[in-house]
Amino acid sequence: MLDLPINEAVTLADLTRDPYPIYKRMRAETPVVRMAQTNRILVTRAEHTKWIKETPEIFSSDDPTTPMKPAFQAQTLMRKDGAEHRAERMAMQPAFSPKVIRTDWADLYTRLAEDYVSRLPRGETVDLFRDLCGPIAARILAHMLGLDEASDEDMQRWSQTLIDGAGNFGYDPKLFELSDAANAEMNALFDSLISRHRAEPNNSAFSTMLNARNPIPMSQVYANLKIAIGGGINEPRDALATIVYGLLTNPDQFEEVKRQALWEDAFEEGVRWVAPIQVSGRRTTQEVQIGDVFVGPGEAVMTIQASANRDETIYGEDGELFNIFRDKHPHQAFGSGPHHCAGAQVARRTLGQIMLPLLFDRFPNMTLDDPAKVIWSGFGFRGPLNLPVTLN
Amino acid sequence: MVKLIFENAQGSRQIVDARVGDNIMFTAVSNGIAEVVGECGGAAMCATCHVYLSPELAEIADPKQEIETEMLDCAAAEVTDFSRLGCQVQITAEMEGMVVHLPESQV
Ligand code: FES
Repeated sequence: MLDLPINEAVTLADLTRDPYPIYKRMRAETPVVRMAQTNRILVTRAEHTKWIKETPEIFSSDDPTTPMKPAFQAQTLMRKDGAEHRAERMAMQPAFSPKVIRTDWADLYTRLAEDYVSRLPRGETVDLFRDLCGPIAARILAHMLGLDEASDEDMQRWSQTLIDGAGNFGYDPKLFELSDAANAEMNALFDSLISRHRAEPNNSAFSTMLNARNPIPMSQVYANLKIAIGGGINEPRDALATIVYGLLTNPDQFEEVKRQALWEDAFEEGVRWVAPIQVSGRRTTQEVQIGDVFVGPGEAVMTIQASANRDETIYGEDGELFNIFRDKHPHQAFGSGPHHCAGAQVARRTLGQIMLPLLFDRFPNMTLDDPAKVIWSGFGFRGPLNLPVTLN
Repeated sequence: MVKLIFENAQGSRQIVDARVGDNIMFTAVSNGIAEVVGECGGAAMCATCHVYLSPELAEIADPKQEIETEMLDCAAAEVTDFSRLGCQVQITAEMEGMVVHLPESQV
């Protein structure tokens, strides 16, 4: 048995800028390592990250000190385990089921996607990240949650504010002031929509939770809606931008994808390649062996699914590359275990079956003239910050 | 070990050796049955391990718990009286030679 190694060199700034070479090295040399700067234990191999997420008795999501609580003004289901987590999760899960998407939402999402894509100016260079990826993700989510009245801008701002608050490990009061203000706006909107959702229920998450046979407390209904706002815009937005980048920088694959309509494969490979949610946090409830090392109780463990998704033991030596023709292997972009992403099926359908085919049907000859101009960023959430494409 | 037969929506069959005590999802995934995904790893949280038991198998399998019924509602393919989450069905020695039907799609 080995002592837990400590990495004094790596900083959050490094991991935000370009984490992949660092993770590659960690997978090879120190797959379980304490990162001195954050005092958190990073776990980078696929086998370990999957096991940790599937073993909630030892690796709990319950974290009493998380800044998520002040940011969301509630202990959310993300930070709960067991029956309590399941009850809150299942209260809204039906709204995200493949069946409901098929029967209730597919036509609407198609219309919304057509509408947003048709606003883009042919022949011009636009920032697709700003002009499409963010707004369409916000609009679709607003409908799915039953918050149609919220604007794209509000949805995106609330989402970012909640994320910034949840990541406020330094407890900077300014960030919590901003999240408090966003909470007040969201609460006011939710309050105003209750009567509509009671009178005319639909299959949105809000209606589903309000009109359930045994409804969860209203405070948790609100917390769930906020979790969905905080966690439901960045991921489809970043996934879309990442996939478009992957296709436009690999023209051979792009041609084949168009020819054979392999949009769902493009989706899976995009989220494998750069997982929109790169990292998850857990807390050990007891001493435990991970790989060759012992980790004590009460330690903060970070599973790096970004790294697991490029693990050589699964993907061979070319896991760093975007390749939609690679052998199909399950990836961990949606996590595993009880906290497996509630929006996985929605994302596959809205992006893989609706958005990507529609976007490239309209602009089959889209180009990314200078990939070096695209700025990638993020440790917890990762994706391009801009995507200057020419629309043809 | 018992033999379990997986039959896909097109009717083609694959016979696998299953360990007593394992669940159907795990058995399928570790034998490369592509029609079973099992993305949540058996937490009854993803419904991508949806299968249809043959009547004889349904008869002897442990009954469904509430959490399974709830999650099955979120399966992609049609749900019938024989639908189960593969991860919630334990394999027993009596299942020798029985058939598990696979849905058209899990996503
Ligand atoms: S593996 Fe996810 S529900 Fe069975």
